Amino acid sequence: MGVNKANIAVPTALEHILMLTKVEQFMNWSRATSVWPVTFGLACCAIEMMAAGASRFDFDRFGSGIFRATPRQADLMIVAGTVSAKMAPVIKTIYDQMPEPKWVIAMGSCATCGGPFDSYATIQGVDKIVPVDVYIPGCPPRPESLIYGFMKLQDKIMNSSLADKYRELFEPAHS
Amino acid sequence: MSYVFDPSSAPNAKVNMPSTAPVPGLAAHIADKKATEAAEEAKWQKTYSDYEAAKTKAESEGAEPPKPPVRPVAKSDAYDMQWPVPKEPEDQDLKTLVELLGESVEETFEQAGELICQINKTAILNALTTCNQEVSLRYEMLSDMTATHYPAGDGYKFSVVYHLTCIRRRKRLRLRVLIPEGFEPESATQVYPGANWLEREIFDMLGIRFANHPDMTRILCPDDWEGHPLRKDYPVVGLGQRNVDFREDRSGKLMRRAMEAAGHLNINLKPIKAD
Repeated sequence: MGVNKANIAVPTALEHILMLTKVEQFMNWSRATSVWPVTFGLACCAIEMMAAGASRFDFDRFGSGIFRATPRQADLMIVAGTVSAKMAPVIKTIYDQMPEPKWVIAMGSCATCGGPFDSYATIQGVDKIVPVDVYIPGCPPRPESLIYGFMKLQDKIMNSSLADKYRELFEPAHS
Repeated sequence: MSYVFDPSSAPNAKVNMPSTAPVPGLAAHIADKKATEAAEEAKWQKTYSDYEAAKTKAESEGAEPPKPPVRPVAKSDAYDMQWPVPKEPEDQDLKTLVELLGESVEETFEQAGELICQINKTAILNALTTCNQEVSLRYEMLSDMTATHYPAGDGYKFSVVYHLTCIRRRKRLRLRVLIPEGFEPESATQVYPGANWLEREIFDMLGIRFANHPDMTRILCPDDWEGHPLRKDYPVVGLGQRNVDFREDRSGKLMRRAMEAAGHLNINLKPIKAD
């Protein structure tokens, strides 16, 4: 046949029990597959977030079904709904209470840009108060959209680098 | 950029101020009707005098006289929707109220089957007490309490409206006061304790302070909010575009104060003050 068996590398006994990777990649893999969101819903988008967590869409498949009731145990804040001016300091407080590394998903039109509420009481996008990693459009977005946005966040985490984080923290001029 | 309320710097700060104060009322309705009729009469007189002048001119010249004009008759369609106009009070409750309150009643009328009574701004507490305590009235519930801003009002700038309900007789009554800018009406909490949060909402949205209220603070907007959003001169859109800056620790001091007030629980509830 056409297969040249001599070119196939036979794993040694050592390689059967060992996997070689970088620390950075290993950390990213562990972080991306166990992102715990904080239980935090503001408006109707939160209903879709609950649906994404329930059995039909099953957020748990991606290691992210454990919605924590305290920001101190959470890695991800899904801002699901309209951000009013009175709620803004509360969101900021919750974000500050989350330990590093932490990520934010702006779910829906309201959290992304204010949506239809161009009024005095609505913050025009949650990125005015906290940094946002992934924006998900929709009014409200379907659970598929949220899952897709979450997988984009997983890609971002897998591609992140400790050197980038170091630069971001200590050499902001060069980043 | 710090968190500063500046309506003029809002992207869409243009505000169209209303030029009229459309407060519904019997006297206003009658005056409006009279003005409309007078305008129609004047129009008809002008048409007729024009016709007569043309007629005399035609007669002097020996020409064909013009056709006489026909006065238009107002159309009335029984199947058309009728705007509910204010009518003279016929309900016994309104008559009782006028009898008991006397001079302090400024106007009473019925509109669309609803009872409306306008009270002098200084006598509103007496009127509410009467409505609540009088045996023949006994309006025991304050269903709602609202206010409206009339920047073009003559002698007043706000109307405060009390919606009372009598549960036993299944009746509703509306009391209204017209107040100028800066006037503090007596708080209804002295008669109806449920008016507490309603009056706080009116203060928050329109800036009307109520005298003898147990806790005259904002209820919907944050405590350090500037301006009153339901006033007509408040820009509707554009203010949301402002930047929010937390470097000043906008909520820190107020949050501490609120936590102290709520017994170190982070609850947005105000303590009940002892008598």
